[in-house]
Formats: sequence, C-alpha cells, structure tokens
Amino acid sequence: MPTYKLVYFNMRGRAEFARLIFAAAGVPYEDSRIEMNGWPGEYKDHCPFGQLPVLEVDGKVLAQSIAIARYLAKEFNLAGKNNWEQALTDMIVDEFTDIMAEMKSLWFEDDPEKKEALTQKFNTETLPRLLGYLEAILKQNGSDEGFFVGGSLTWADLGLVSINDLLSVACPGSFNNFPLLAGLIKRVRETPRVAEWIAKRPNTPR
Amino acid sequence: MPSYKLVYFNGRGRAELSRLIFKAAGVPFEDVRLDSSKGEWPGEWKAKAPFGQLPLLFVDGKVLAQSKAVARYLAKEFNLAGKTSWEQARCDMFIDEFEDIGAEVYKFAFEKDEAKKAELSGKFNSETLPRHLGYLEALLKENNGGKGYFVGDSLTWAGLGIANVYDLLGGTDAPFAKFPLLLALVKRVRENPKVAEYLKTRAQTSF
Repeated sequence: MPTYKLVYFNMRGRAEFARLIFAAAGVPYEDSRIEMNGWPGEYKDHCPFGQLPVLEVDGKVLAQSIAIARYLAKEFNLAGKNNWEQALTDMIVDEFTDIMAEMKSLWFEDDPEKKEALTQKFNTETLPRLLGYLEAILKQNGSDEGFFVGGSLTWADLGLVSINDLLSVACPGSFNNFPLLAGLIKRVRETPRVAEWIAKRPNTPR
Repeated sequence: MPSYKLVYFNGRGRAELSRLIFKAAGVPFEDVRLDSSKGEWPGEWKAKAPFGQLPLLFVDGKVLAQSKAVARYLAKEFNLAGKTSWEQARCDMFIDEFEDIGAEVYKFAFEKDEAKKAELSGKFNSETLPRHLGYLEALLKENNGGKGYFVGDSLTWAGLGIANVYDLLGGTDAPFAKFPLLLALVKRVRENPKVAEYLKTRAQTSF
C-alpha cells in the first residue's frame, strides 16, 4: 500500500471529498492540515499550481481537488466499473462543481443589493433546477435505494455527501423537494465507515 | 467501432477539446453544430441533455454530458489519456488548470461594461495568466526538460488541451512570449499531422 498524505487547510472545503473517499475505502492517510497563518509558508513551493489541496503518493505530488478525488476513487474501486460508468461518475461530479461555482459567484458579489438578488435567484431557481437534474438521474435508475451509477457506491455518491456538507449550511432545506437525493445522502452518511469519519472529523465552520 | 455524435454550437468553446481528441486519434464522428438563431437549440435537444446544456456526446445512442467528462471518456477510449492511473491523474490535473484559465477568461469575456471589462482583462493579462502559465512552464520543464509533453513521453489530451488554450487566448504567440517551453509544445501539438490537417480545414468561428 502506498503512503498517502493529503495537505489542505483545517477545513472541509476542497479536501473533504478526498477525505470521504479515503474513509469509505477504509484506507489510512495522513490528514495534514495547515493553519491559515502558516500559509503560504514553505509548503506552497510543493504545490504544482501554488494552491491546496495537494495529494502526496509515496512523495509524488498531485494537485487539483477533483483530479485528486478521481485518482483515489479509481485506486479504491469507487469510480465505476468501466470507462462508460467512470464517465457517468465524472459527469455527475462535474455537475457538483458547477453548483459550487454558482455559489461562489454569489459569495464574491460585493454589492449588497446585487448579492441579495443573485442569492434569491440561486435559491429559488438555479439550485432547484440543478438538483432537479440530479434527482432525475436517480429516478431513471429505477430504484428507491439506488446510487448514481452502476448500482453501487461510487465517488459520485460521496460527492453528493460532500456538497451536502456545504449546502446544509449555506442553503438549508435545499433537498426538501428532492426525496431521492435526500435519501441517498442519508444512506451514504449512515454507511459505517462514512458515519465513523463524520463523527470524528474536526468540526470546522466550512 | 461505436458511432459517435458530438452536439454543440457552431464554435470551439466547450466542444473543441473533444473534437481535437477525435481528430488526433483519427476517429470519425458526427460533428453536430446547432444554430440557436434557427431554434435548433433548445429545440428538441435540450430535453435530451442530462443537465440542460451542451456539449453532449452520443455513443451508440447513449448520452454523456459535461465537456470534461466527454473529453476524458474519449481520451481514455483512444489511448490519449496517459498510460497508468498516475499519468491519467496528472493529465486530469493539467486539464483542470486549463479549465481554471478558461474560467478567468469567461469572467470578462461576457462583461458588458466596457470599463470593467478593460480592468478585468488587464488584470488577467498582466497578472493572472502569467501566473498560471508560469506554473505550467515549470511543470513542463520537470518532464524531460520540457522537450516533450506534459505527461509521459507521448501526446495526451493534456497536450491537446494547451493547444486549445492557445486558441482561447486568441491564437497568437503573444501570451506565451515568456514561456518558451509551453509555446514549443503548442507548436508541436499543432504540427502533429492529424491535428495540422484538422486545423487547416476547421470552421473559422468567433468563439
């Protein structure tokens, strides 16, 4: 087994997806957390694009949070059973990224009136539309107890749990109208290894 | 060989990387370009789109969405994605960085306020872009002194990706002036016989 070290700030943020994958797979790793006042510091030079998170595998370095998550998912057989299934998981994960990008454009809006209007639009229109697409995928799969791809847990399902961490704080109740998504989040959070991680992980605001 | 259909607008945009992958691999595909002004989009296509957007890839009639997922699927099918799981992850990393550059461009590309647009594009050209290209130049240098490719020793979709960024930035050498290894790689990719053939005949579009 290779030695894994995941380096990020002391928060869930862009590293939690990878942490959930390690947890679900039951694979040990060093969960290295840099305090904000320790950044940039020395470690920045190790970062291919000057940013965190970074994954070290036997000392070799990988950057970009989704590339990291995908690599781990594939290593731990949580990425889909063939190229097509893997592509479907990629597609779903990219949709989570799009949801996060929409949220970020809200956060970075300085004008309070504009921000209020954008937030309204996000909560009443954009987010329900995007979650609706994901709910439809689950519905098409035809089982109430299903997963996004291939009938078993993949990193796409873990990605949903990760984005729920964010949405449950920023947009509480956003899954109220999406029972299949809500059910999947609950089922995955309750699987033993994931539940254990959620219970013991550092409790940070984001 | 499966039948492939790629559906997008008449532009490079978020489909061009997939087109480059098809062309570099020498794999035929139906290159569907929808004209919104004629109602072709949304038309009947939007209902077929898992997330209501283009591009879409149909493989023997099964649909895949999200431009990077589509490109990665094709790259893997055609052995242009890296030879090991690690190499594939390194390619993914470069592709995500190109996406970050694209996202910065989109921030001002659609800005209607001329003054704001000038301010944003100024910052992009003087600060943001050189920072991104600097990282890429250094990473390229780490691989065989930068004389070859980003990953491994042969062309991957990461190389096609930087050639696509070159087009996104206006298709001139100027943005790469201080990054000779990157520029040389872009040229190498553009001179790949199948890519060069495609570049000669592809539709000239505004985006």
